[in-house]
Amino acid sequence: MTVEQQDCVALDQFPVGMRVLAVDDDQTCLRILESLLHRCQYHVTTTNQAQKALELLRENKNKFDLVISDVDMPDMDGFKLLELVGLEMDLPVIMLSAHSDPKYVMKGVTHGACDYLLKPVRIEELKNIWQHVVRKNRGSNNGDKKDGSGNEGVANSDQNNGRANRKRKDQYNEDEDEERDDNDDPSSQKKPRVVWTVELHKKFVAAVNQLGFEKAMPKKILDLMNVEKLTRENVASHLQKFRLYLKRISGNQQAIMANSDLHFLQMSNGLDGFHHRPIPVGTGQFHGGAAAAGMRPFPPNGILGRLNTPSGMSGVRNLSSSPSSGMFLQNPTDLGKFHHVSSLPLNHIDGGNILQGLPMPLEFDQLQTNNNKSIIAGNSMAFPTFPAQQHSSLPNNNHLVLEGHPQAPPSAFPGHQINKRLEHWSNAVSSSSSTLPPPGQNSNSLISHQFDASSSSYSIPFCDSTIPLNPALDHTNPRAFYRATDMDSSANVQPGVYYDSLQMRKSGNYGPTTDAMLSSNNPKEGFTVGQQKLQSGFMGGEAGSLDDIVNSTMKQEQSQGDLSEGDLGYGGFSSLRTCI
Amino acid sequence: MQRQVALIKQSLFDQGYLDEQFMELEELQDDVNPNFVEEVATLYFKDSARLINSIDQALERGSFDFNRLDNYMHQFKGSSSSIGASKVKTECTMFREYCRVGNAEGCLMTFQQVKKEHATLRKKLEHYFQLARQAGPKETARRSK
Repeated sequence: MTVEQQDCVALDQFPVGMRVLAVDDDQTCLRILESLLHRCQYHVTTTNQAQKALELLRENKNKFDLVISDVDMPDMDGFKLLELVGLEMDLPVIMLSAHSDPKYVMKGVTHGACDYLLKPVRIEELKNIWQHVVRKNRGSNNGDKKDGSGNEGVANSDQNNGRANRKRKDQYNEDEDEERDDNDDPSSQKKPRVVWTVELHKKFVAAVNQLGFEKAMPKKILDLMNVEKLTRENVASHLQKFRLYLKRISGNQQAIMANSDLHFLQMSNGLDGFHHRPIPVGTGQFHGGAAAAGMRPFPPNGILGRLNTPSGMSGVRNLSSSPSSGMFLQNPTDLGKFHHVSSLPLNHIDGGNILQGLPMPLEFDQLQTNNNKSIIAGNSMAFPTFPAQQHSSLPNNNHLVLEGHPQAPPSAFPGHQINKRLEHWSNAVSSSSSTLPPPGQNSNSLISHQFDASSSSYSIPFCDSTIPLNPALDHTNPRAFYRATDMDSSANVQPGVYYDSLQMRKSGNYGPTTDAMLSSNNPKEGFTVGQQKLQSGFMGGEAGSLDDIVNSTMKQEQSQGDLSEGDLGYGGFSSLRTCI
Repeated sequence: MQRQVALIKQSLFDQGYLDEQFMELEELQDDVNPNFVEEVATLYFKDSARLINSIDQALERGSFDFNRLDNYMHQFKGSSSSIGASKVKTECTMFREYCRVGNAEGCLMTFQQVKKEHATLRKKLEHYFQLARQAGPKETARRSK
């Protein structure tokens, strides 16, 4: 059978056709093992030399699913081979030996073996070895290496091997099931999300500063932080986000940094919560995570913050600056821009109002064309509901958001303000879309004006759709308007982040700010920015001009989820704030 | 004829020459591998003969490197158990025990036993396989329980 065929078979009928590499210097045992494996319907390759086995594996990493190796071999110690395979190819390895001594079993476990079988091997034991392949894959998908986890790696020495195997397998299955429930989205993380609260983040930042940003290593940070139940991995991923965030905001508004803590947290938290979006830092936050009460507001701020800096969207900054202040109004300086927003009855976020004041009309129109529907609306909604919504279609969220219920959104997202605006806007825009309540809510008359015009379903492309943002957002739309369009795709970007940015953006988009915001947001940058963009091009920050944004948004038409903002969202991360 | 074959096989089990592992091997014999058991047995004897030689030489040298001896025997034991050579396996275990305590004489003595059991089994199996081949492949593949 050709390799391709093999693969096909393997994929379709797994575990039938699973490709096993068997290594044992003892010809008798090897022959028997080969036969047993064949009986289990696996595809078997054998070699009696460890070196040869390594060569085969190195030749093509994807050629095998599992390795079974004897412990005592003349040319290389089985444990050494085990280590190498684990490091280089990251394949599950099962040890085989006539040694029943627990010391050997322990050695196998510590060297990373998935299982340890005693000779003579019985077919019952081999029938279940495919579980290790599955386990490993799940682990990798989730970023969680589970190999060996749950696997006592106990030698199956007794007669109950069959039973023991079954039991273990059930145990594994159980574990798997639990995780499976948590992760509908293969990309989502399995392990329980760590919520990075403000305190926690502060500790983190303190540790990083102490170590020196360049030199900060997760392990050291973890030690310095001295927080129970926090793993190195948590710190590592948080650090990564943090770094990205800094990068994004660097050069961006420094002001945002002030608020960055919250932003960052929001962003990051959101991210985790959401679907594991690349940057959805705040995603989790938004919705509900509002881990820190202030977090909520953060998102919008974050977004704004981002918006501001790049293009001087100061307005945005305002938003971001005060997490609690309804984000939008973060930067007093740009309040001008935003203050429109403030005037709006943003829920939390004054920023929401910003939208109002902003030259929304333009944007809205533009936005409308895009498909902002969800983005804008979604944004506001998205935030709070982000997590929840995320998966849901954007449009749903959006509607909510746009509806202008600033607060209405299920999650009372602080960014409501923005949302509100968006809502209005979206209402106008996507009146068709739906649920948006008559824009009248905010003083978004302007907005509403827009909305009507747009009728496109803005429904908060970014935000609420939370999900759409994220997942949907696939930011694949690099559309210029990214931001606006991003809404659809951006959802993916960062659920949480976006919102903020969106939120913020929304406000920003309104007019001048939008441009600023938009421009500031590089899709990447503003994670939130992206959102904003979605909003309808407000953010188009990049677009620079509303027109562009509008156009882009129009083109974007992305599916709701697309919050192509994703780019933004992603960027949002940084924009959120440097939280540092 | 087949009955004879079956009886011989039964006696091998009864006398403890073979254990259930041998049964497992028989399970693996099928149309695809009609002579699987015999092939494996042949492999085993070839391998084990080599091992026995090595041990013999080591013992004759008189240096009694117990570690080394133990290693050899470990291998020997492994393949013996894989094929279900029960008595051989038992002797191997004893040998390793003597190695562990550093009892040279015990090793020598036990090793003789190992060789003896090994030779006996070989003869019996060869006889068995011969008869089985004569009786017909299907019959030998299945073990009458």
